[in-house]
Amino acid sequence: MTVSGFASPVVAQVTAVEASLLAFVVFTALATALARDVLAAVIVFGAYSLGMAALYTFYRAPDVALTEAAISAGVTTLLLLLTLAKTTRIDHEAAFESVNLPAAGAAGFLFVGLLLTMGDIPAIGSPDAPVWSNPDVSQWYLAESYAQTHVENTVMAVLAAFRGFDTFGEAVVVFAGGIAALIVLHREVFA
Amino acid sequence: MSVVDAALVAGYTVGDFLLLAAAGFTVLAIGMLYRAVKGPTMQDRVLAVNVLGTNTVVILAMLSAALSEPTFLDIALVYALLNFLMAIAISKFTVERGGVL
Amino acid sequence: MSDAVDDTDMTDTPADPTGDSEADESPDADGDRDDTEPDLPPHRAASRSGRLDSETRQGTPYTESQVIMPTVKVVTPFAFTYGLFITFHGSGSPGGGFQGGAIMAAVVFMIAFAFGIEATRDWLANTVVVALAVGGALAFAGIGLVPVALGGAFLQYDLLPIPILDPVKYGMEGVEIIGIAPIVSGVLMGLFFLLASGFDSEGSGFGNGSIDEDGSIDESEPIEEGGSLGEGAADAGGDR
Repeated sequence: MTVSGFASPVVAQVTAVEASLLAFVVFTALATALARDVLAAVIVFGAYSLGMAALYTFYRAPDVALTEAAISAGVTTLLLLLTLAKTTRIDHEAAFESVNLPAAGAAGFLFVGLLLTMGDIPAIGSPDAPVWSNPDVSQWYLAESYAQTHVENTVMAVLAAFRGFDTFGEAVVVFAGGIAALIVLHREVFA
Repeated sequence: MSVVDAALVAGYTVGDFLLLAAAGFTVLAIGMLYRAVKGPTMQDRVLAVNVLGTNTVVILAMLSAALSEPTFLDIALVYALLNFLMAIAISKFTVERGGVL
Repeated sequence: MSDAVDDTDMTDTPADPTGDSEADESPDADGDRDDTEPDLPPHRAASRSGRLDSETRQGTPYTESQVIMPTVKVVTPFAFTYGLFITFHGSGSPGGGFQGGAIMAAVVFMIAFAFGIEATRDWLANTVVVALAVGGALAFAGIGLVPVALGGAFLQYDLLPIPILDPVKYGMEGVEIIGIAPIVSGVLMGLFFLLASGFDSEGSGFGNGSIDEDGSIDESEPIEEGGSLGEGAADAGGDR
């Protein structure tokens, strides 16, 4: 896999960061899935989000990385811990779940099938990737967002102006999530 | 031309070395992951995830410098502020199984 | 040391069949407390009686940690200011209402973990949380509907009646700051408080969904929900 977006003379070092971050993320994901103790799984899941935030940063998606950082480190772990505090702990001898072989086989088939499609996916940073070179969507947003919305951050321009109605729907979904939690937990007040 | 683009040795720039150092820190994080996964007690895991968080702050800061994107430091700052929250949450959870939350 | 701490911390469940289960929640727990494990740290002075507000509790409650509380006092203003920065500066740098709202909610979580959830519940009234979430949704809808009232489309920012300033830019900022950020922070705080009270699991080990009407709620507890708070949650909330 060549990383053509970088003009650096040492492409190998760039991919070293990528490779180590990807290995970290895969290890944490496997440990989260296989951990027998739920609290250990929650803690390792926090570590997984750390790796994902670094990976998003490396691929120059700082808005996504910031969301990952704020939500995972600040919110998800705490909500999971609060939920765990309402349960009891079952003492396990083994540190890991025993792997269900048919399920692992099915997951392996899916993994191999997805891996076979990798050859047709454009390289990371490729200027020929359709998501980048599309003149009607990506390039149009990049060219027009400042002229039409007067904000520097194109992500926010797309989020709040070009896709403003979608964002309104998302905000209402978040609001509805709070209402649904009230209903599920048989409460009438939040605090 | 900033400091990051200055050539140090044989065409390798400062940014390249920063990326290499970030990769090294990530490899160290994988080593730390062993303690977070295996850790016989919960205290080991709390400490491991705290070290991982600090490690991630360093990695993010290095990536920000190597990629010449100063705004990426925002993410490192968020982690620096919120990793503490994760640590105290887990450590207070381990006392009396969340009875003190 | 670490084995002992881990054992006492993590296996103290009703499902624990080991030999030390006679001290669990039994009436004579305070009788043999002093001679079983005299070298316990202060926050575990009541070795097996468990809950923080029990009569047999001695020593400093763990929630009044001398490390956590001052650190949180120092960190929270900076974290809250940073959340405001992320929210307000979303147009020029990464971030926006969603991320900033989540950080500001995380500041409230931090306070709740340091000073106890019940104290935070008293400090941050239900009205505030609901007003944040509902007010944010209404503000977003209002900013979207004002151009409709003036004959334009939904969220057509250039029709917003904002004097002097650029209506497009500040309309978007308004959506982010008084729309999305309050919704996210309010809903996240609400979820936090809801999960903190939640279905209690004291004794049975699993929430059965029934609302405990005759629970042994301490009268000194400022419970405003008319008995809908279970006894386990009331016990867990005694740590103020």
